[in-house]
Amino acid sequence: MAGSVLAPAPPAAGPKAPAVSQGRLRRALSERRTRFGLLNAAPVVIYLLVLFVYPIFSTLLLSLKGEGGGWTLHWYADALQGSNLKVLLTTLRISAETSLLSLVIGFLLAAAVSRLKPLWAGLVMIIVIVPHFISALVRTYGWIILLGEHGVINDALTDLGVPGAPFQMLYNELGVVIGTTSVMLPYTVLLLYAVMKGIDRRLPAAAASMGAGRLTIFRRVYLPMVAPGLVNAGILCFILCLGYYLTPALMGGPKQAMVASLISEQVMKQSQWNGAAALGIILLLLTFGGLLLLRLIKVLSEAAKNRGIS
Amino acid sequence: MIALRSTLAGRIFLTVASTVILLFLALPIVLIVVTSFGKDAFGAFPPDSWTLGWYKVLFADGSKWPAALSLSALIASLTTAFSLLLGITAATALVRSNLPLRSAVYGLVLAPLVIPQVVIALGLFLLFEPAAMLGSPIAIALGHTVLASPIAVMILMATLKGIDERLEDAAASMGAGRLTVARRITLPLAMPGMIAAAVFSFITSFDEFFISQFLSSVDTTTLPVQVFNVLQFDVDPSVTAVSAVLIAIAVLALVLVAAVRRLGGGGKQDGLLPTEPAVGLSTGSEPS
Repeated sequence: MAGSVLAPAPPAAGPKAPAVSQGRLRRALSERRTRFGLLNAAPVVIYLLVLFVYPIFSTLLLSLKGEGGGWTLHWYADALQGSNLKVLLTTLRISAETSLLSLVIGFLLAAAVSRLKPLWAGLVMIIVIVPHFISALVRTYGWIILLGEHGVINDALTDLGVPGAPFQMLYNELGVVIGTTSVMLPYTVLLLYAVMKGIDRRLPAAAASMGAGRLTIFRRVYLPMVAPGLVNAGILCFILCLGYYLTPALMGGPKQAMVASLISEQVMKQSQWNGAAALGIILLLLTFGGLLLLRLIKVLSEAAKNRGIS
Repeated sequence: MIALRSTLAGRIFLTVASTVILLFLALPIVLIVVTSFGKDAFGAFPPDSWTLGWYKVLFADGSKWPAALSLSALIASLTTAFSLLLGITAATALVRSNLPLRSAVYGLVLAPLVIPQVVIALGLFLLFEPAAMLGSPIAIALGHTVLASPIAVMILMATLKGIDERLEDAAASMGAGRLTVARRITLPLAMPGMIAAAVFSFITSFDEFFISQFLSSVDTTTLPVQVFNVLQFDVDPSVTAVSAVLIAIAVLALVLVAAVRRLGGGGKQDGLLPTEPAVGLSTGSEPS
């Protein structure tokens, strides 16, 4: 190859030869970049294939293995009935409640922050982000101190003479939803804040100049622009809740057991690996369903946007 | 919110609501720190009298905490090393090469962040149990790396994107070899990002619960697993002090990242905080 570049080209091929060798050079360079990419991507790909994809695949196999050695759906049938089904439904319910609450609270906070001056917005976002990096276990413990029967809130309410105090706020669904929401909230606030920051402020102003009232602007201009963000944040929050464990395990009662605790118990205490594997795969499928929904909504909303433009 | 914003009552409502929400986020944390200095660990707030006693108990003879702390630190250090190695190579491949199937590789790298952790933990248990590696710090660190490496990759990708490629080209055109360019140009410029990636890998591992629980044995209990066991089964007031220590470590780590970011003058290097693991997936954004 080097020869063809250096050697004087025969007159007839004169105009063509440099073009060919330049193309070759470019191709060689691009091949080199491809090889460089493959070489560098190899470690992480191999790592994740061995320690992430393969383990999940073997979980799938285990969930389909019968006790005799043949294939069976027995473990799935088991997971979808009786007390196991109840745990699954509880998980879906608590995840839905938590996502909804996180969305409402996250919406309020993000909306309030998006109108603040940069310095203040930065300070508020620090209060949102820092807890996100503090162990969820520790934050849950904080809630236990706060909400317990002789916790800070109940003590204060009793001192104030509120009738009915102390209230039961721990080891029930209220406690679980409060605790889990505080863990999920940073996600929704950050997602919604990013969407709200991106909204062109001239649009509501334009609507106002055309005579739209405040409520109309909110309903017909602002909300439609924030809606995709709300759906996104809601689904993501739901997915993250599905496999969540720490807060429900520590702040809930037996009625608030979630799938993740059930899996943990079946592995640790009952050595019931097949059943645990089936539950894990069901959890995985629910997660995939949520991700697929996210994708679908994105594609649809983009299609709608394109139609609007053309 | 436009409707609320423009009236006085609406503004007052938003201000009050956001103050309450911020308290909701901060109060549990503040409470633990304050309580850990109180004489009555589970008692009144604010405490009647103050003490450092719970911190002394942590390191008293027969305490389980020092062993758990050093095990967690060991595992977190291993995880940091592994995920930096994977992160540097992967980010280079994703940002600075024409990698075939790039979006598939990117998807694979981010996937551990949205897959339920209990499923990953169960899979790893099934992998390490037959290999008789349960309880091995290496196995736990290998598991933590599955969760930490996506974060390292994201931070390092943002860092690499923030570095002007022409600087590398310029050095190369002056005759610097590939290694020299990496060592004298890219590495110094990428340092803030590398430190951030290291810090967040460390925190991820240090806080991780599920994988540690599934892969631990009786004598290898990481700090979070130990805290969980205490909260679930016994009453040990010194857990308040441990929690306060964990809070301090996380805050120090964040301050370190912020300081490095400022010193690095990296106005361009956005995304040193992996604020949103899942955002990349939700928006379907791909490396460009």
